[in-house]
Amino acid sequence: MKRFTDISLKNKIFISILAVILMISAAIAFLARWILVSSLISELELRGIAIARTIAERGSGYVLDRNYPRLLSLIFDEAQLNERKHLVAYIFIVDQENNILSHTFTYPFPAHLRTANRVPPEEGKSVQLLTVGNQAAYDIALPIHEGIYRIGTVHVGLNKSHIDNLVSKLRFTFLGFISLVFFIIFIMSHKLAKYITRPISKLTRLSDELSRGNFDIQLDPGSATGDWDPSACPAYVNTDLPCWHFDDASAAREGAAEPSEHRHTCRPCVFYGKREGDEVGQLADSFRSMVWSIKLYRRRLHESEDKYRSLFDSGPDPIFVVDSSSLKIIDANPRAVELYGYEKHELVGRSFLELEPQNPRTGTASFAIDSDAHGCVFYQKVLHQKKGSKPVFVNLHACHISYRGRPAVIVAATDITEMMEKDAQLIQASKMKSLGEMSAGMAHELNQPLNAIKMGSDFLAMMMENDLEVSKENLQQVVSEMSTQVDRAADIINALRAFGRKADFVMEKVDINKPVRGVFSIVGRQFELENITITMELAKGLPPIMAHDNRLQQVFFNLVTNARDAIMEKNQTGSPRAGGTIRIRTYEADGHVVAEVRDDGAGIPDSVRDKIFDPFFTTKETSQDMGLGLAITYGIVKGYGGDIQVTTRRTEGTTFILSFPVPG
Amino acid sequence: MDKMKILVIDDEKPTLTMFRLTLNAYGYAVLTAENGKDGLEAFELERPPVVLTDIKMPGMDGIEVLRRIKAIDPKTEVIVITGHGDMDLAIRALDLDATDFINKPIRREALEQALKRARERIELARSQESQVSVEPGPNAIVIRIRGNITSHSEACLQQACREAFSLQKGKVILDFDSNASINGAGIAILTQILVDGRKEGITIAISGLSDNFKRVFKIVGISSLAGIFDTVEAASSP
Repeated sequence: MKRFTDISLKNKIFISILAVILMISAAIAFLARWILVSSLISELELRGIAIARTIAERGSGYVLDRNYPRLLSLIFDEAQLNERKHLVAYIFIVDQENNILSHTFTYPFPAHLRTANRVPPEEGKSVQLLTVGNQAAYDIALPIHEGIYRIGTVHVGLNKSHIDNLVSKLRFTFLGFISLVFFIIFIMSHKLAKYITRPISKLTRLSDELSRGNFDIQLDPGSATGDWDPSACPAYVNTDLPCWHFDDASAAREGAAEPSEHRHTCRPCVFYGKREGDEVGQLADSFRSMVWSIKLYRRRLHESEDKYRSLFDSGPDPIFVVDSSSLKIIDANPRAVELYGYEKHELVGRSFLELEPQNPRTGTASFAIDSDAHGCVFYQKVLHQKKGSKPVFVNLHACHISYRGRPAVIVAATDITEMMEKDAQLIQASKMKSLGEMSAGMAHELNQPLNAIKMGSDFLAMMMENDLEVSKENLQQVVSEMSTQVDRAADIINALRAFGRKADFVMEKVDINKPVRGVFSIVGRQFELENITITMELAKGLPPIMAHDNRLQQVFFNLVTNARDAIMEKNQTGSPRAGGTIRIRTYEADGHVVAEVRDDGAGIPDSVRDKIFDPFFTTKETSQDMGLGLAITYGIVKGYGGDIQVTTRRTEGTTFILSFPVPG
Repeated sequence: MDKMKILVIDDEKPTLTMFRLTLNAYGYAVLTAENGKDGLEAFELERPPVVLTDIKMPGMDGIEVLRRIKAIDPKTEVIVITGHGDMDLAIRALDLDATDFINKPIRREALEQALKRARERIELARSQESQVSVEPGPNAIVIRIRGNITSHSEACLQQACREAFSLQKGKVILDFDSNASINGAGIAILTQILVDGRKEGITIAISGLSDNFKRVFKIVGISSLAGIFDTVEAASSP
């Protein structure tokens, strides 16, 4: 049976049909032979009996009369009548004592025939196969009656070879007919099998071609009729349509179903119409449509692939494909090669950790390894290393994708080194401007200790010149005061220097109270001269935040000078020296370190409240002020992942609330 | 004679300490105050003839202190202490009848000079001597000016000048005594005189000014109207 399943469908059909026909034929042949042969033989026997009966009836008188010549002529007549001479081998008549009365043998009567076939008294007839000479014959014995007496027996020998001859003729004719039928069925089944399997094997061939990637094949596997032009379909040109064919009903129902780019499956398409009738033809049509669909999707895939490949290659930013498990770079675009300085073959296979040596637990690597993470992440200002360990700052977008069947991460990096340098320069420039603005105040500030030192030293000089005695107490006082004042001047200069220094790119842990105090040391005294009091409520033991001390100073400097300006603005209308209060508070709340700078100045009008952090926005009319102070402040705070909130009420003052995340 | 009282008002404690030591050594009785309010109280109480006050102070600033003291006693010699090179404030103070100013950091000489001039002006005011006199010299007419030149001095100064101009000598020298002090009104009068003189074709030179006032004259533009010299001799040489 296994062998049967292995053979081709064509042969299966062919062989099955043949086998069935063969069995039916054999059955018919046996049945027919049995019926025909047996009925023929019995018919012939009946004919023999009929002959015997005729002789018995006609010959009974001759037997009684002992008119043997008439009897002989009778039996010869009967034996030679028409076709009977072939059938009847012999006729003979015996009397009661089995004496031969007459016979048709042309040679001496075979003695064994005389008693070979006796009719039992109770039977009407007897049939026996006997051998006469070298021939076989059916001997039919029928008693001759006269009245109720039996006066003899007539024997009619039927020629067995003649009967056999007839039977074999019949058999031969019948067999020939069966063979003819079988032959016709053979041819037909062969054709049928071929007819069914031909399109299938053609489809198989086409499928094989398709599998091998050859799509430029004759796409008419069936006998589909010709006027079929795929380029007539709208989707053939607009590959954004979900099917290259689309629901043709739109043509029928006006505007009911416009070709939609959002549909994902196709409705039955007239364009894809199937022929009525022949299922094999339908299959062929269906197959043709399928092939066109595949062709279309392949084309779209190619287009898409080309598109994304060109995006990948021509993108202005470095892009990496990184294996999720091994963190090895699988692919990198030319820009990555350019930026990172490695050749492409050096990049591919390299661990991404070599490019991003910082914090392997928290950065892109952790995202890549975390298989539960979905979607994309964005990392800001990540320090990467180019070839030769040169640093480069990048913003990173990382997304999970499947790359050639493996989970991977696509990482797009934006080189922001230059931007960060520009940022730093801008921040620095703004700081320098601030320094310039406060230079007069700082000069005054620095003048105080210098004055005390000058006066002290002049005093000592004068006393020496005039040979006057300086009391020990006074001397002590002068000397220690001078020393204190030198320290004070040095502190001012240090604070200035710390403020003016350009910050590194790398953030450090900063206690937020430190820059607050730094700014206070710079401006506190000056503000006091303008009758502006700074009160500080700085919480102790705050967790450090990741920032730059120096930039935070700038933030607070900007905020307190703004507060000062707000107070001045309010006082313009009233007493110019009325002054005001700036309150600085630091505390911890909700895992954030918060710093509040509150003034009781003029407040911010609602109309500009949303714009205060915009660059180049300024309310100061007479202005060298560029309107960058708060924009830079905002930028710095945002750069640390922090946030600035403003609450303000006209004439009651403004509160800036800065919150910074505590690094985990 | 009692020690002369000097009130020093400065918000800087170390500065006050130094002032106290120095001025004590000079032989003054020193009163100190750390802010304008205390200063005024001390002034009301002690009425010192000389007051030294810082201008930039929290609370009541030096300008306000000056105004109030002048309101109480216009004759008080108020010397303001300004930040180094801050001439705008100095001139504002002069406008409010401050008699002199000292730059911070305070040099010993400047302090000594300022105090000396103040003492002389006080003496002068006591002696009721005429502040302005006209003396014909060999090459030019010399107008000698002493004490405080304020709006009160306008009449006599104008008269002296008219007198000098009428002599038709061609050159007039305004010789300031080293103790002379000129306030804002005085500067206005002087400018008027110089402009008038130029109109009449008379060359006017100025001599004998203290360094402080040389700077003030330069800033207010008087130096462009008249040559400024150290001595009468230098001014009168052709």
